[in-house]
Amino acid sequence: MSRAASTPAPRGTGVVRVLGIVAVVALLGVLVATPLVSLARGALDQGWSTMAEVLRDADVMTALWHTVLLAVIVTVISVSLGSALAIAFDRAMIRATAGWRLALLLPMLVPQFAVTLSWTQAYGPGGFSDHLFGVALPGLYGPLGIGLLLTVDSVPLTWLIVTAAMAVRREPDLARAARASGAGPWATLWTIDLPLLRPALTAAAAVVFVSSVNSFAVPQVLGSAQGYQTLATLVYQQLTLSVGPEAFAQLSTTALLMVALVLVALAGADRGLGRVVRGQARYGASGMSPASAGIRSNRLVVGGVAAYVVLTSVLPLLALVLASLSRAAGLLPEPKNWTPSNYVVALTGQAGVALTRSVVLAVVAGLVVTVIASLVVGVGGESRRRLGTAVTLGFAIPGSALAVGTLIAYGTWLGGSVIIILMAYLAKSWALGHRALLAGVDRMPPELTRAGRASGASPVTVLRTITAPLMATALATSFGIVVLFALHELTMSSILYGPDTATFAVVVLNQQQLGEIGGSAAMAVILTLPALLLLGVGTLLLRRREHRLHPGEVRR
Amino acid sequence: MTTSAAAVACRGLSVSYGDVPALTDVDLEVGRGQVLALLGASGSGKTTLLHALAGFIRPSNGEVRLAGAVVAGPRIWVAPEHRKVGLVFQGSALWPHLNVLDTVAYPIRRRGLSRAEARNNAQVLLERVGLTALADRLPAQLSGGEQQRVGLARALARDPALFLFDEPTAHLDPHLRGVVLDEIARRRQALGAAAVYATHDATEALAVADLVAVLRAGRVVQVGTPEQVYECPGDLDVARLTGPVALLETDQAAGREPPGLARLVRTDWVSFGGDVPGVVNQVRYRGPHTDYAVDVAGGTLLVRETGRTCRCPGDNVGLSIHRTWPLAR
Repeated sequence: MSRAASTPAPRGTGVVRVLGIVAVVALLGVLVATPLVSLARGALDQGWSTMAEVLRDADVMTALWHTVLLAVIVTVISVSLGSALAIAFDRAMIRATAGWRLALLLPMLVPQFAVTLSWTQAYGPGGFSDHLFGVALPGLYGPLGIGLLLTVDSVPLTWLIVTAAMAVRREPDLARAARASGAGPWATLWTIDLPLLRPALTAAAAVVFVSSVNSFAVPQVLGSAQGYQTLATLVYQQLTLSVGPEAFAQLSTTALLMVALVLVALAGADRGLGRVVRGQARYGASGMSPASAGIRSNRLVVGGVAAYVVLTSVLPLLALVLASLSRAAGLLPEPKNWTPSNYVVALTGQAGVALTRSVVLAVVAGLVVTVIASLVVGVGGESRRRLGTAVTLGFAIPGSALAVGTLIAYGTWLGGSVIIILMAYLAKSWALGHRALLAGVDRMPPELTRAGRASGASPVTVLRTITAPLMATALATSFGIVVLFALHELTMSSILYGPDTATFAVVVLNQQQLGEIGGSAAMAVILTLPALLLLGVGTLLLRRREHRLHPGEVRR
Repeated sequence: MTTSAAAVACRGLSVSYGDVPALTDVDLEVGRGQVLALLGASGSGKTTLLHALAGFIRPSNGEVRLAGAVVAGPRIWVAPEHRKVGLVFQGSALWPHLNVLDTVAYPIRRRGLSRAEARNNAQVLLERVGLTALADRLPAQLSGGEQQRVGLARALARDPALFLFDEPTAHLDPHLRGVVLDEIARRRQALGAAAVYATHDATEALAVADLVAVLRAGRVVQVGTPEQVYECPGDLDVARLTGPVALLETDQAAGREPPGLARLVRTDWVSFGGDVPGVVNQVRYRGPHTDYAVDVAGGTLLVRETGRTCRCPGDNVGLSIHRTWPLAR
């Protein structure tokens, strides 16, 4: 049925469509609504007074302040830097080749905790820069380091969103019109390009804000030992220390606070977006030919971007790899000090089992999300938009809150099982699959399926011969993105895992907290590899295919 | 009129995209107040030439002068915002986030006027072109014809010495075409500015221009008055671009041309009633007139007659040919 429902247009017919909607609504109820309601009930379990007490608690308020402060600063810097990169690329007409793309996206493909570990190994006290030059990045452990890493982690995302927006509908004439009206290159950027990009910038800001509130690995590794708590680490701490119903009510209230924070931010973004989009057709950026752009600092841009990539990704990852090969912490990175033993440990015993578990979980999540996302997309029309909003809400809820809610809702039957982890993964990553499929549908005008029907094909034949081949890329993308998400997921896993269900990411975190640098580094490297592999192979296959389907676009 | 006084003068202008030549060795001159039509099929280099004049493309060779001043040449490059050109785009290119008033105020504001002053001036301009009622609208709330008129108003607000039109009526309904075309002609004349008008439509080119330059594969293949390019096309391609074409084998028609030539006969160069015998082959009723394809010795002629259809395929008719023009085959 899911296949039948994945026809983007014409919409799934009659009964199938209704069944699809019912299934999606039921799933949303189980995966998103029930945990949220349970969370609220958990918070009120001990009455309003306990809840009010939590909200007056100094620790909670401090964590809230830290979270908001970090999220706002990270959002501002990341959106400025990401869009500056995107525009500089566009202007300097650096062809965003696979190599550049990969380099810029690197921090996104590496799990957040691996990036964090790699930075501590590269720039932290006792790290390589410390060893070689006696210089360590001051304040890496603390708010500065947390902010820095959250920024590094989210810049690729804003770059991607802004670049995509600029590619949607290029209208170079808009910028030419400005130049012909007497505007210089910078005036054009300021009065035409940036206003046109506002929807994309707002969307990017919303996503970055949500993901920095959500982030657990970075503040946990860099802040918690120093006593710098965010809401996410506080929830984790309260959970590990919690005894008794009162503690659980506290924890639920803290988690609920995270939800409220994100909802307030999203409502703001939504209002901003609404104002911009109202009465306007959808448009992308202007963008011009290089000569007319007038900003011709090509070499400077290339050098700057290359330096950024090397400093933020390449060197840290190198340090991480070296640390994973090192026989003991603090030894010089020389071949005589190398050993594969960290990898042996990481791939065998408990860690090996956890790795297998993570891979299976990720693949299952990828498959299920792709199926349920095609259900939503297949519904079509206004229902697709509404259900899509609900699905996106699942992504917006901070992982800590979603996990605690899921735990309260289903913990009694499913606590400590992989199923409960899977449920949280599905709720959170459904939106990722949804976006990927929507992008595919957007590229497929309804005329194509109508032409199929008009040529005498039945709906099923149209699905098999036209829709499926054209949607294959989108389906594969959806699967790939969700697999990566699940492999890297730590926030929810660290709350939901039981004695026998630790995911690989959780094992890495625990190793790190125990001070096992070599082991955790090796595991982080292992967890990074599938992403690179998937991306490499995927890009290659996709490019060949896209080239066949859209030869003109690829060459541009 | 000397070169320095010309509104536009290109000498040896060449543009290439990578290794692909887009314009080759273009020489053109447009006098003050003159309108030059660039006539060519799509891909012939019309837009490239306009963009080179406006300053969006840097020529790989040659020189562009606007009102006597070199704006592009060896070691000289003037950015688009410093050339006094008003550009009207094929797709109007209105900024989706600015309403009509702010769109027209934009070029005025770029001259350094304050926002309020620019808006006041724009208001005056909108009044002059009769668009005041649309001042608060966003482009998405305008019809195609209105969008194009706003695009024209924006170009006017630049107060240019030279207008560049890139097929401004290509996306419009036939009715709106006439309206926009009239407005363009009126506004340009009132300003006395020169214009370069790119189009693939012969009737438009012949109607608006003082001079027509025919472009093919990035080269100017013929320049002349509208009458010259219509009546004396340089080759068959130019003949086809500038109007309906019928050809007669030379020896059949006159018998004194060297071999390899054919004779062009335009529809208005032939009429019914004469001693050239023919048979009606095809009839097309077009409203104000009817087109007949008539087989005669040596080819098929197109005859246009005003009014309703009054002949049928197969009818024997007599024709008189008033004029022919020799063309290489």
